[in-house]
Amino acid sequence: MASVTLEGITKRYEDVTAVDDMNLEIEDGEFVTFVGPSGCGKSTTMETIAGLTLPTEGTIEIGGRDVTNLPPKDRGISMVFQNIALFPHMDVYDNISFGLRLRKYEQEEVDRRVEEAADIVQLEGMMDRMPSEMSGGQRQRVAIARAIVRNPDAFLMDEPLANLDAKLRVHMRTQLQQLHKELETTILYVTHNQEEAMTMSNRIAVMNDGELQQFDAPLTCYYRPENRFVAGFIGSPSMNFVEGRVESGEIATPGFDVAFDPGQVPELVAGDDVTVGVRPEDVYPAENAGELANPTRPIRARTDVLEPMGDQIFVYLVLRGEDASDAEAATTEAASARGADELLMSVEPDSDLAGDEDIEVVLDRRKIHVFDTETGDAVCHDILRSEAMGGEPAGPAGGS
Amino acid sequence: MSADPTADESADGDDPTVEMAEQAKADEPELDRGLVEAWAAKMISNPDRAYRATFYVATIFFLVTTLFPFYWLLVVALTPRNNLSEVGVFLPAGFNPAAFIEVFQTLPFHRYVFNSFLIATIATVAVLLVGSLAGYVFGRLRFRGRNAMLLLVLVTSFFPPAAFFIPLNRLFNTNVDVLRPLISAGSLYNTPYAIFIPLSAIFLPLSIFILMTFYSQIPDGLEDAARVEGTTRLGALFRVIVPLSAPGVATAGVLTFISVYNEYFFSSLMTDGRPGSWAPMLEGILRFQGEFEVLYNLMAAASIVAVLPVAILVVVAQEKIVSGLTTGAVKE
Repeated sequence: MASVTLEGITKRYEDVTAVDDMNLEIEDGEFVTFVGPSGCGKSTTMETIAGLTLPTEGTIEIGGRDVTNLPPKDRGISMVFQNIALFPHMDVYDNISFGLRLRKYEQEEVDRRVEEAADIVQLEGMMDRMPSEMSGGQRQRVAIARAIVRNPDAFLMDEPLANLDAKLRVHMRTQLQQLHKELETTILYVTHNQEEAMTMSNRIAVMNDGELQQFDAPLTCYYRPENRFVAGFIGSPSMNFVEGRVESGEIATPGFDVAFDPGQVPELVAGDDVTVGVRPEDVYPAENAGELANPTRPIRARTDVLEPMGDQIFVYLVLRGEDASDAEAATTEAASARGADELLMSVEPDSDLAGDEDIEVVLDRRKIHVFDTETGDAVCHDILRSEAMGGEPAGPAGGS
Repeated sequence: MSADPTADESADGDDPTVEMAEQAKADEPELDRGLVEAWAAKMISNPDRAYRATFYVATIFFLVTTLFPFYWLLVVALTPRNNLSEVGVFLPAGFNPAAFIEVFQTLPFHRYVFNSFLIATIATVAVLLVGSLAGYVFGRLRFRGRNAMLLLVLVTSFFPPAAFFIPLNRLFNTNVDVLRPLISAGSLYNTPYAIFIPLSAIFLPLSIFILMTFYSQIPDGLEDAARVEGTTRLGALFRVIVPLSAPGVATAGVLTFISVYNEYFFSSLMTDGRPGSWAPMLEGILRFQGEFEVLYNLMAAASIVAVLPVAILVVVAQEKIVSGLTTGAVKE
């Protein structure tokens, strides 16, 4: 068990920078997930922590020990790989005990530990099977047993569930969480699946283009994303973004306006180009607006495609524009760049909406996020500064 | 009831064939076919027969060309010394199995075979060891100038071995004082080193190439896993990559072993031909060639004896290769 600290980790290949100036402090016993789209540098970060590649710059500490230039075997870590990477020419026992035997443990100690590890991942009685004779889930459990048998300071897991089928993945997800509770070891987990990241971790490190975007608890990333990338990446289906401009007392977009009190939200400066973000679950049909304390004005839209998911229905809306804002929409040059006239709304399954129907929708103003269009950084969340969200003046988002 | 439709169907299905056969029958009398033409027509109408015939012809051809020389060696070996001038093609002129014992009595032929076996074994081990390291580097690491270096290594195998002979012979005949404590004369001539060093070098590029191909196909994850679990890169090579590349290692090993064991040029020139001077098996066979008489029967017997160790090795290795291939097949 140990903390893991990255300081200014940079990994440059000949012409690309895979990881750019990563700074992270992971606490002892924490479950931290690196999440991001493919090619964002999360696996490279993991490899530098494991010692499989050396960083171009920066230092790595595990348990307060500088391991930047140590070979992988001396870092006190173990790793579970995406392709599982069991040694195909060894049976389960030999696979699990590989590291112990290399470290010249007593035979009895090896037996005891292997048995213990196999017990934790429920692999009893499979010791003499070859990896080729096992199912995907069993192999994955062997790989996990191989990782825990050495009692490492930290586990690294590089997309360990990516090659499993959907049902097994959810099952293994809970198993991993139980494992974490049982062992209380620091776990560093890489995934491109934001759902895995949300459900399993104490904290998420969201990465994009080799840069750390946000390092926070899952729900903080969800409710207070630091920038547009995090907002779009965390949450499924992803957040709606509409580009607009701050006017006096309202944010004008081609499809709708959102009113705010300039006195309450000083971050919004008139004339700034901003992007309004709103999650599909915070868009409501106008007839349900009564439930909302602070809806926007009704927005005229036309339903396009409906995606019934069982527990909810995703409705694609094409905005038709408010009569009042037509003139303003013309002046907002930055708008309409990318599907700015589309919104995704999620409604209850009992809704009687149909395709190609003219309706009016409202947004929950308390759940509206505003981002700087140019930099993508969050300008503010909750443009009402309501008590419910804790009305600290600028919030952590304003700073970055 | 149920039979009718099937009958109908089959009748329908047969129709075109029947028609064709009828047509053929009608055509046939008009054609005045020769024997070959008739045979060709039969083969065209029934290609499976042609394939089978070709298969047997080819198989028998290869069996005869590869096995008949061995059979004839046996025939010569069994022919008594006095009848050697009238040795038959298919049957020996007389029966003298004692030749196989005489081989060892006339000369310490077993010593020659042992010399060759030892030299080939050392060369194989050396080639596999160095070839594994080089194969790992070329197959699994990316670095500047990799292709140029690989080409350079392969180019050395393009030279005729004879091109190396004169400088090497001069070198090995030079007395080097440093070697005196190790080798009595201080020169490598008349030692096994004089044969296995140049031969290892000559056969190394091919092995590097074979091993490189196999090692490059082992997934990176396995090597990474081994390194995280506690091996160095070298440990990962010998504990994970080499065992998983067993077919490639066996192929490279068998090729090297046979090549060195059978090699003629360096083997015949790097020693003075005495068994105590580490002269290889080939020298032993040539020694049955006297000043006034060539003992063909003993040469033949010696050749058969000399083939046995290699034949056994190949049979054993073959099993390994096959089992290696099947393990490879189920690899993730």
